[in-house]
Amino acid sequence: MIEVAALTKRYGPTTAVDGLTFTARAGAVTGFLGPNGAGKSTTMRVVVGLERPTSGTATVDGRRYADLPAPLRTVGVMLDARSVHPGRTAFRHLTALARTHGIGRARVDEVIGMTGLESVAGRRAGTFSLGMGQRLGIAAALLGDPGTLVLDEPVNGLDPDGVLWVRRLVRDLAAEGRAVLLSSHLMHELALCADRVVVIGRGRLLADAPVAELAADGSLEDAYLRLTAGAVEYQGRAVGEAGTTAVGGAR
Amino acid sequence: MTATTAASRRARPTAHRPADAGGPTLPRVVAAQWTALTSLRSSWWAAALTVVVSGVLTHLSAQASSVDPGFDPLGSLTSGVVLSQVPPLVLGVLVGTGDFSTGAFRTTYVAVPRRWPVLVAQTVATAAFALLTAVAAVAAAVLALLPSARSRDIALDLGRDGTPQTLVGMTLLLTAIALLGLAIGALVRRSVPALTAAVLLVLVLPVVLLLATDLSTDPLAPATGGVPPAVAVVNTVVAFLPSGAGALLTADVVVEGAPDLGPWGGGLVLAAWIALPLAAAALRLRTRDVV
Repeated sequence: MIEVAALTKRYGPTTAVDGLTFTARAGAVTGFLGPNGAGKSTTMRVVVGLERPTSGTATVDGRRYADLPAPLRTVGVMLDARSVHPGRTAFRHLTALARTHGIGRARVDEVIGMTGLESVAGRRAGTFSLGMGQRLGIAAALLGDPGTLVLDEPVNGLDPDGVLWVRRLVRDLAAEGRAVLLSSHLMHELALCADRVVVIGRGRLLADAPVAELAADGSLEDAYLRLTAGAVEYQGRAVGEAGTTAVGGAR
Repeated sequence: MTATTAASRRARPTAHRPADAGGPTLPRVVAAQWTALTSLRSSWWAAALTVVVSGVLTHLSAQASSVDPGFDPLGSLTSGVVLSQVPPLVLGVLVGTGDFSTGAFRTTYVAVPRRWPVLVAQTVATAAFALLTAVAAVAAAVLALLPSARSRDIALDLGRDGTPQTLVGMTLLLTAIALLGLAIGALVRRSVPALTAAVLLVLVLPVVLLLATDLSTDPLAPATGGVPPAVAVVNTVVAFLPSGAGALLTADVVVEGAPDLGPWGGGLVLAAWIALPLAAAALRLRTRDVV
């Protein structure tokens, strides 16, 4: 389970995440939605300890990520398909990662099988298409058989077969009692696989509700556009008040 | 919020399984970095080049001087050592920058969120790989002396005078240069600037300094018996550069005007050149976000 509480992340004068609070519960797929630059990836990087929050907390199973005794066995992470050295084969990439946690060869072969990478495991990752890179990223996330998964845009670049496969995979993972936090631009995709959706805009929480509730009067897409229209309007006002950037920065 | 966190931790002391058993211990991270280093072709190219450059240059030098009347094959032993430092230097830089120049750092530091064990493990893995390479390169240099020695019916006596020290010194020098590359790479993080800095520091700077003094001193000036002050200053500076300090490892040389550091002093200076950037890189890893 992931708990984000009053999380704020600033880079100098820019506020990327602004007092964000939400929970990704065990046994459910939590969709994470928002326009480009809304702070989804920043939030995920803070959750997995690559960045420190300016204020607020992000915890997994009640602990800060950096305090987890065995991170890979607790949280499976896929942030970017290009998180691999292009000169290393898929198999060696996974092996090096597995060895940090004493995970054996059998599990490496298992996740290669689960993600359908058997035929290309001996190829260097630099030769992979985006879709194959995504599969390798998902294989790395599954390596420690974690109870929580953080997946940033996992269906990006996947073929229709791959999209179906990810949809089934995350549903199965949640059905096994795991918490899945999955970001996507594809509303349609989230409508099909998420139980709950967290919508953010300009670093702030816009909505946190079950998919059925959000899409009650129309589609999830309508609901999303309605919600983020507020964020865009807010942005428009900020630009309109061109002379008051300092006020925005000090906030 | 702290109260909530503490409460939920108490409520679920072992979340999914006894996870503590499978965490990233230092030996495991070393094993992972060894896999990472040996799974790149560039590492093996660097190792092979080190051995080849060492052997070929030593052979050519020995062949060239074997016509001299007082030919001593062991005099050519270190003739390949300056250029055979280049591949280990590049190897170290590539290990140091590899994660950050490619985006692989996300995977690395998500697996080891305490971060510093990664740097320690990279140092250990690079040292081990470079040491094996250095032993092979020094062996190649010794073997490369044999044809010219045989042509003059001279037997190689490796136990003679300072030869054991030279052999050990060459091995340590090549290993240390790889670690210097790693330290610079880990601090700079981008491959091209790190390589440029490393090559300038190790190879170009000492040559430029020595050329500058050569040009500034008048060769026709009457010998006054002392060392010109400019030469003394430059020689002192060079002795404290990685290459100058490294040269002290391979032989007891007395450089005019420079303090006599000896092999141990030279080794310490070289160690400081490795330790300082590594410490700065560790501090940066510890205190900053990795992005």
